[in-house]
Amino acid sequence: MISRVAEHCFWMARYLERAESTARLLEVNRTLLLDFHVPTEQQWLPLLIISGIHDYDEEDATAELVQAHMTWNEENPFSIVSSLAWARENARIIREVISAEMWERMNFYHLWLRHSGTRAMYDGNRGEFYAQIRRINQLLHGIADDTMSHGEAWEFFRLGKHLERACQTARVLDVKYHYLLPQVADVGSPIDNAHWVAILMSCSGYEPFHKKSRAALVDPGTAVAEFLIFEEEFPRSVHHCLTECRRAIDAIGRPAGFDTTEADRTFDELLQWLESRKMLDLIRNGLHESLTHVVDSIHGIGHAIQETYFMGQAPASKAFEQKQTQG
Amino acid sequence: MGNDPPLPCRLFQNYKPHPKAWDELFLNQQPHSHCKELLGQFGQLDPLEFQRRRTSADMAFVNQGITFSVYADRRGVEKIFPFDLIPRTVPAEEWYAVESGLKQRITALDAFLDDVYHDQRILKEGIIPGDLVLESKGFRKEMIGFRPPGGRYIHICGTDLIRDEKGQLIVLEDNGRTPSGVSYVLENRAVMKKVFPELFQYCRVRRVEDYPRQLREALCSVAPEGAANPPVVVLLSPGPYNSAYFEHSFLARHMGIELVLGPDLFVEKDCVYLKTTLGPQKVDVIYRRLDDDFLDPEAFRPDSLLGVPGLFRAYRAGNVTLANAVGTGVADDKAVYPYVEEMIRFYLSEKPILKNVPTYICAKPDDLAYTLDHLGELVVKAVNESGGYGMLMGPASTAAQRAEFHVKIRANPRNYVAQPVVTLSTCPTWTDEGLAPRHVDLRPYIVSGQSTWVLPGGLTRTALIKGSLVVNSSQGGGSKDTWVMENGRA
Repeated sequence: MISRVAEHCFWMARYLERAESTARLLEVNRTLLLDFHVPTEQQWLPLLIISGIHDYDEEDATAELVQAHMTWNEENPFSIVSSLAWARENARIIREVISAEMWERMNFYHLWLRHSGTRAMYDGNRGEFYAQIRRINQLLHGIADDTMSHGEAWEFFRLGKHLERACQTARVLDVKYHYLLPQVADVGSPIDNAHWVAILMSCSGYEPFHKKSRAALVDPGTAVAEFLIFEEEFPRSVHHCLTECRRAIDAIGRPAGFDTTEADRTFDELLQWLESRKMLDLIRNGLHESLTHVVDSIHGIGHAIQETYFMGQAPASKAFEQKQTQG
Repeated sequence: MGNDPPLPCRLFQNYKPHPKAWDELFLNQQPHSHCKELLGQFGQLDPLEFQRRRTSADMAFVNQGITFSVYADRRGVEKIFPFDLIPRTVPAEEWYAVESGLKQRITALDAFLDDVYHDQRILKEGIIPGDLVLESKGFRKEMIGFRPPGGRYIHICGTDLIRDEKGQLIVLEDNGRTPSGVSYVLENRAVMKKVFPELFQYCRVRRVEDYPRQLREALCSVAPEGAANPPVVVLLSPGPYNSAYFEHSFLARHMGIELVLGPDLFVEKDCVYLKTTLGPQKVDVIYRRLDDDFLDPEAFRPDSLLGVPGLFRAYRAGNVTLANAVGTGVADDKAVYPYVEEMIRFYLSEKPILKNVPTYICAKPDDLAYTLDHLGELVVKAVNESGGYGMLMGPASTAAQRAEFHVKIRANPRNYVAQPVVTLSTCPTWTDEGLAPRHVDLRPYIVSGQSTWVLPGGLTRTALIKGSLVVNSSQGGGSKDTWVMENGRA
């Protein structure tokens, strides 16, 4: 398929996933704070940090201002409205590629976000509002699976979804690093446990986690982190998402003249890194450092996918030269 | 309305046809015979129910994002093209004549293009003044001596028809470059079927849905030698910020072809390739929605970022088909238009079936003098403008506007033509004061590959402002579904 179109498919999925993930984070943080009284600066700042926002004024880090910033601010590229606007803009450009049903839903939600009733729902029933945002992505993936040909465009859509999700799960886990616990003694305290539960819930992992039998005596933090990083059967775990990405890349294939690509190489590197380690290795290395490695590697994979598939291949003769230089 | 018999239905009870213009649905306060059934059905609606359906039609456009964009800021504003629910009807027998007239016209226009880029017989024999053609902005000297694959020049033509006061359909202009609007024909019909399904059970209306397939087949039929089987056809768009992007993506979707932008293509060894995720793919036919000027920075405007460097070279080498061909603009130059009837006689030895509007060509001294003396009664048009720009509506103009045109025309007579004002026919249209007559035109679409096919009906554009004779969407016009009846029954 056309490189540019593939790129729009990929980014449409990433923006949709990002909107969902932001809604999950906001909702979980909000409900967590209903139970525990955490110092104000610890309540909402970490959420901005893991979203990649570092220049936010600490004084303004109140519940309402941060939620408004992350939900409605069109100037904030990480807000839900921005993510959904960019998802729709990508979709608009490739309307001829996605199914009519997908476009209609995408457009429906575009109008829905601008409807006064939606703002009223946000003000009056925040939980339902965030649930609606989550459903947008879920619904669109359901529609995509059932109405789009499972060809290249669909694979790029899946690739975008899983790459973004792997990154978001790693970031959510890393949020723990930014919540400063007052004392070492607080580890394993009700607040600490509540945080882990919140993280699980933000990934819809609460019930699957408890259904999974695991060795006793492991502290809840380690168990949750292990589940969200390594659990192959859980659709939001880092490992599961990367495996899905790998499958999508294999289904897409390689540009003519390439046996292996930069995308292949960066993927395999991260997968091997992960598969050759156990949870304890990551903790020994420092969970934050390990997660940072995952997030950085995913950025690298993004660039490699860009270079491999979206730049548009040069004429056959040049592709041949390229292969030579890449050895 | 004095002692006139009452109109046949509630919705039309207070409808007062235009005093002068031909009405598309009514004759002497009674429905034309071909739309009795339609008006009878509409008659069962009360105005409230009609309003409800109107809202539901508008919502269908909004929800599907059927919009054109007005990009003023970064995010842009998307607007819907106003759609009026009362269809414009064309009787079956009349359509047969229009169809043959359009086919005759396109055959002559294509023969003319082939002639001006080869032997120039029509110029040598003095039928059309040579300088008029050779100095036309649409004339491309680069095309001299080149015959496009399949010998076809105008693959898609949108010919604007208007109906005069006597009810005769006449040709206002031929759009043989990159005519737009056909997606609205298809979407209008889809929405009508959704909102008034019952009407289609009673009234036999000819289908329009075949257009994308017909176009695709026509384009495949003129693929260059050595093309893949089936040929690789793409639609080349200026991009998502073009106001017609919706139409480009609509057509690509319905034709099952790729929508591409200039940077998606490249030329290597005089062949055109598409940049794909799996490497280069050769392209055989390009349905381009870019003007000649922007197609290829190497051959035409060097500052064009929308085109494909080397595309014209590949075209001249016969390795790719462009639809429409390069250089068709000379055939839809408004100063060449007055000669189309002559072309029909010259190339086909036939009598023209469709008539032109009488036109004064300011390049001719007599016509120039007449035009300058009668600016207040004429419509003056710049020969290469479209979309209702560069026009003077004499009777509605101010003295200052006339003075401005007087200067402009004298400075560059070749750039102007003038026509008597034709009172366009009207069709009942929903307005703030209920149903009222509004002026309409009709743009049928003619698709030509190895053979020629005419879309039954076309785009009916309607002025929404009372008394306005300008129907262009850029000037605030709307559109209607166009019904070509089967068997004369409605």
